[in-house]
Amino acid sequence: MSVNYEPVLWNRQKVIYDVVLVGSVVLYLLLFMHFADSIGGSLGVSNLDVRGIRIRAFGSAGFILLHVILSIGPLSRLNRKFLPLLYNRRHMGVTMFTLALWHAHLATGWYHDFGNIEVPLVSLLVSNVSFFTVFRFPFEILGFAALCILMLMAVTSHDFWLANLTAPIWKGLHMLVYAAYALLVGHVVLGALQTNRHLALILVVAVGMVWIVAIHVLSALKEAKQDQAIAIPDQAEFVEVGLVDEIPNNQAKIVCLSGERVAIFKYDGKVSAVSNVCQHQNGPLGEGQIIDGCITCPWHGYQYRPEDGASPPPFIEKIPTFAVKLEGDRIFINPIPNRPGTPVEPAVIA
Amino acid sequence: MTTDPNSKPKDEFYIGYAQKIPPGIRNFLLVLVPGLIALVGILGFWLPSVHNQYSPGALDRTQDFQGVLMAQPVPHLAVPRQGNTREGGAYSRYLLSAFNKAAFDPKALKELSGQWVNLKGLPVYRDHYTLLASAGATAADLPANAPMAPPEGKSLGEFDLSGQIEDSKCYLGVMKPGESATHRNCAIRCISGGVPASLVVQNTAGDRMYFALVGRDGQAINNQILPKVGSPVNVKGEVMQYDDLYVLKANPEEFKL
Ligand code: HEM
Ligand code: HEM
Ligand code: FES
Repeated sequence: MSVNYEPVLWNRQKVIYDVVLVGSVVLYLLLFMHFADSIGGSLGVSNLDVRGIRIRAFGSAGFILLHVILSIGPLSRLNRKFLPLLYNRRHMGVTMFTLALWHAHLATGWYHDFGNIEVPLVSLLVSNVSFFTVFRFPFEILGFAALCILMLMAVTSHDFWLANLTAPIWKGLHMLVYAAYALLVGHVVLGALQTNRHLALILVVAVGMVWIVAIHVLSALKEAKQDQAIAIPDQAEFVEVGLVDEIPNNQAKIVCLSGERVAIFKYDGKVSAVSNVCQHQNGPLGEGQIIDGCITCPWHGYQYRPEDGASPPPFIEKIPTFAVKLEGDRIFINPIPNRPGTPVEPAVIA
Repeated sequence: MTTDPNSKPKDEFYIGYAQKIPPGIRNFLLVLVPGLIALVGILGFWLPSVHNQYSPGALDRTQDFQGVLMAQPVPHLAVPRQGNTREGGAYSRYLLSAFNKAAFDPKALKELSGQWVNLKGLPVYRDHYTLLASAGATAADLPANAPMAPPEGKSLGEFDLSGQIEDSKCYLGVMKPGESATHRNCAIRCISGGVPASLVVQNTAGDRMYFALVGRDGQAINNQILPKVGSPVNVKGEVMQYDDLYVLKANPEEFKL
């Protein structure tokens, strides 16, 4: 078994990724503050409110980055060339959270310090109590709720939590990001866009929203089309799932058996079937390839042996396997998964 | 047990920890990443120009003022103008507050109202409307050439006005734009803390007029108008003029959202 599993620590691509990420964020913040300053100067505004400008620079930077974060998943499903952006998405999440936290900190201090309610956070929550209105709704509370979600995601983001919460729960938690996005659209529409009903600002927020919804719908449609659902006849032990020729060498075909996706790999003149779900973060293994004899996940490169669904030592991840047999060119699979890591004899192509 | 090179998958496959990026993906990234950075640049350049963060409000340095401390109709300092400026009023009227989001020293107002005082204050102003943030006042001797006492206000009649209720401090000064939804919480805290509230009325040419707000009987209405701060309101009330200060007398329920 040849395994070139280098520890996933710092490497050149990760460094480039982070330099570009942090560099763009810093570039945006500096440009925003510089141009705000020079426009203010040219309008003859004295005592330009730099803290207010910082609040807007950090808030908008976080909001823009959130659009990028939310785009990567669907875009990589639509076109796999986007996958390198997905690889280190967590650093984007952390960066976005940091921007949002600083924005919230600045806004709370700027608008709530020195008042007759001592604790700024309490002041934030009780100053405007027009909860049953639309345009007077305390938009800050929407931002606060979003920040709580982002914080929850940030504190549970380490692989320690991923392993202990198990990938499905962790993924469910991560799906809350969509709630956070919805809250933040409300935060911006009922806040900044009320104070400044500039058509261009309304348009960019609307275009961002349409973009996010559209790419999610498109990628879901594409996935639904790919998901070849296979009906399981009663009491059938094996189900036909396709032909050997359909599968490119060292790649897989994904089929859906009673709601569960199975990846059927062809390699070395053999066929094996495993669960499509990567143990790391639910990456789609069937979109990966066999590299150095191992199924390699397209998201972060976790590897599993096709024969038993186990990661090569020293790694301990295991995925369920499925019994396979061939009749001529036709592939049959037992839809009942074996326990993760169970060795299964690959079907040999005649 | 690796496969022979001819059977290598032809789809390009990116592995984050591999040393080499496949050329197709590499070329794609060489377009995508600079494109994203350019987009960031465009947004950073363009967004500040469509933000409205450039109001003309300003602060000056703290300085010494001498004038008559007035508790009514709103706490203010009446400072005699230089020269003969009868038409505009003999006094400039400066609203008063503390340095934080609070009312001007109530003890000084009670003990020194109607008297000449020295006051160290930070002028906060927008257009011709000024507030002094100050920690308090001390009694002063009557100046040798002191003008007559500041005149009583005169009624200009009932008016129907549309505008926004704002605090007379952050709105006037450093916060930009300091109005509407984004500034509402701050204005609520200021007004509930005792900073005078004002109605800001804007005509179609963009000129602003400011009216300090009190009830029909001249009582403070700060706490009753909080649910209407920072939104467009319409109000019918009596406008009083005190030299260059306009005061609107209207009860809280007369403000319609
Ligand atoms: C406790 C939480 C939060 C508070 C108190 C808060 C407060 C505010 C305030 C007061 C404004 C108006 C700023 C102004 O115009 O002066 C604002 C704007 C904004 N906030 Fe938040 N916010 C919070 C959380 C968030 C989060 C988590 C995000 C996500 C990135 C966010 C994104 C934005 C954006 C994009 C704007 C519009 C900025 C602009 O005018 O360009 N906020 N927020
Ligand atoms: C702070 C630490 C964070 C870490 C370590 C982290 C890590 C990850 C990882 C590894 C994934 C890929 C797994 C998957 O897609 O199921 C992911 C997905 C995602 N993360 Fe985060 N994340 C963090 C915070 C955030 C934050 C704050 C946001 C939102 C602003 C965010 C938004 C997302 C989104 C939208 C996905 C895509 C889910 C999908 O399309 O399936 N993450 N995150
Ligand atoms: S999801 Fe991360 S390696 Fe599979």
